[in-house]
Amino acid sequence: MQDDLIIKTTNLTKSYGQHVALDKLNLSVPKGATGLLGPNGAGKSTFLKTILGLIHTTEGEGTVLGLDIRTQGDEIRSRIGYMPEYDCLNPDMEAIHQVRYSGELLGMNPTIALARAHETLQYVGLGEQRYRNIGSYSTGMKQATKLACALVHDPELIIADEPSNGLDIVARNYMIETLTNTVKTGNRSVLMASHLMDDVERVCENFILLHKGKLAAQGRIEDLKAFDREIEIHVWGGATRLEEAMVSRGLNVRREGRIMRILHEQEDTTSMILQCAADVGAQIRRMHEYEASLEDLFLSIMENLGYEVKTSEDLLASPMQARKVDAPGHMGGGAA
Amino acid sequence: MTTLENTPSVFPPVAQQPVEFAAETPVTGKVRLEAAWGSTEGDEDLTTSTASAPKTDGQIFKQQYKQWNGQLNPRWMRNWAILRHHLLGIFKKGHRPWGMPIRLYLLVVFIASLSDVGMTLLSGLIGDSGLHSIWGVSRDNLYGHVLGFFPRNMLYYPVVAALLVGGVISEDRQHGTSALYFSRPITRFDYVGMKFLSVALIQGLLILVTLALYYFAEIATMGRGWAWIIDTFPLFLATVFSAILLIFTYTSIGLSLSSVSKGKFFPGIALLSIILGTKVLAFIVSNLFDREILYLISPYDCLAHVGQAIIGTQPTYDQYSWTWSLASLVAMNALSLYVLSTRVSSMEVTRE
Repeated sequence: MQDDLIIKTTNLTKSYGQHVALDKLNLSVPKGATGLLGPNGAGKSTFLKTILGLIHTTEGEGTVLGLDIRTQGDEIRSRIGYMPEYDCLNPDMEAIHQVRYSGELLGMNPTIALARAHETLQYVGLGEQRYRNIGSYSTGMKQATKLACALVHDPELIIADEPSNGLDIVARNYMIETLTNTVKTGNRSVLMASHLMDDVERVCENFILLHKGKLAAQGRIEDLKAFDREIEIHVWGGATRLEEAMVSRGLNVRREGRIMRILHEQEDTTSMILQCAADVGAQIRRMHEYEASLEDLFLSIMENLGYEVKTSEDLLASPMQARKVDAPGHMGGGAA
Repeated sequence: MTTLENTPSVFPPVAQQPVEFAAETPVTGKVRLEAAWGSTEGDEDLTTSTASAPKTDGQIFKQQYKQWNGQLNPRWMRNWAILRHHLLGIFKKGHRPWGMPIRLYLLVVFIASLSDVGMTLLSGLIGDSGLHSIWGVSRDNLYGHVLGFFPRNMLYYPVVAALLVGGVISEDRQHGTSALYFSRPITRFDYVGMKFLSVALIQGLLILVTLALYYFAEIATMGRGWAWIIDTFPLFLATVFSAILLIFTYTSIGLSLSSVSKGKFFPGIALLSIILGTKVLAFIVSNLFDREILYLISPYDCLAHVGQAIIGTQPTYDQYSWTWSLASLVAMNALSLYVLSTRVSSMEVTRE
């Protein structure tokens, strides 16, 4: 299990004077794709700089690909590919030469770097555009070039900071597919920092949630979502009677007008709902399993549970509490 | 008088009113519900519709990740890459894109700096001793090749330095390309060291290479022997040292200005202001207070004062010791390098 970890930190702390940017982070990031989530100021950038070995930690220790972040920063940066959020390309250079130069900066032979630049630009979908000046590129093409720069030396870990930032839907889909392909067919690991929960959900199996420099949650996205399985029904006629009937049978019901969500706790929950509807004469026009999006969960954790929740197991240990915060205040949700 | 009962009804009974939903029908009541649910009573005839499968014509581009199992070279190769990127950019595409005006100006300065070489060759070829006494290698002419004010230190070298340093670091701030360096195993020292070296080497090409050509042109055309070489070589070395001091000073001041900026214009114009503007300031001080400060505050005059002492030409400020100028040069360079190192240390990787 230890061998499967690409990043591991123990009590990792980074302070800037009085301000604690990272507060005793204990992280274990497995191979594969991991989403790094957190609101602005959560410490994501500081965390990335720390694992790149660019800043000294105040306290604690950590390893990236088995290398010590305090003493082996150069080796770490040789083995990872970093795709920054902001522009990092010279607009007066052609993409092929920009990517080649990125490879050379890692110590690649110029001829080999040029060959790899062709391959990676082909991979990110810029094969036909590679001799154009970057200044004439669209935002999506620039993002793809940044990804090619990160992939030129075939790194074991790719750190992508907001990879789909500012992209239209087509370019965004392509970027997400490329990252997914890199993980699945390339067998590479990706640490993806993003505010777009959909993107994280599509690429990553795992997540890390930071809040005010602390670890708010970490684990598998599937686990995080599993605790909140509900059945959503759309009722026509007799909604109040149906709600009362279901509550009297011990079902957990949340209601917004004619839409109700019932906690899917038992195997016979569905038949109980239908039975209740039959008993009170209410029509159920639509019935399906409701799965909370990562965005819902992110917001609810951020707003209500805060950073005291440490892992998805903790969330699973208190599903009622987590469920409750998922609902808006007027639906009985809110503070847990 | 008509009664209410006798009044003919103009409205049909509500139950008989047909239910029709036209585009102009207000979205209220039942209509709204129909719109919300997207169906009527649920008793309408069931129809099925099947989406046709999209036509596929085969896949032209198949995204396939290709692995690379090569070995990365050590630190010197990474540093060489930075140096090469900047130097080769002067000559060909695919490297640092120096602007065409800069490249043209460098060519003009290179040719202009060869004027004494050309005249030496000419005097040797036609055997004119008068011409040779003016243009041939001598203490004053060696000094003049590197430290002469007009035109070399007024129109050539400071302008070249200003054009070169303008965007070398500031562009990395402007375009965020610093992230490209520092997210790779490039240290700040290597980054700034290689940038410094590349700018200095381009200036060296113009000053030192032309100086060497000048010296060897004299040997070649005048048939100088070992005795002459042994006599003059220390002078040549002293001139080379003066040139290195000049290149180092202009580069360190220029790069420090580049590191505090995000554009090309400010560092260039600020460097020219420091080199040439201090002369104006010293002139004003001299006129107002009858006090000579040029040998202290002007980088060029400090260099000239030190160069005169090293090469052994007639000093301009013979009433002051050249060591004051040397101390001033050391202070200027120390301050510039401090600013440069501080600014480069603070360059961001995750955002700039």
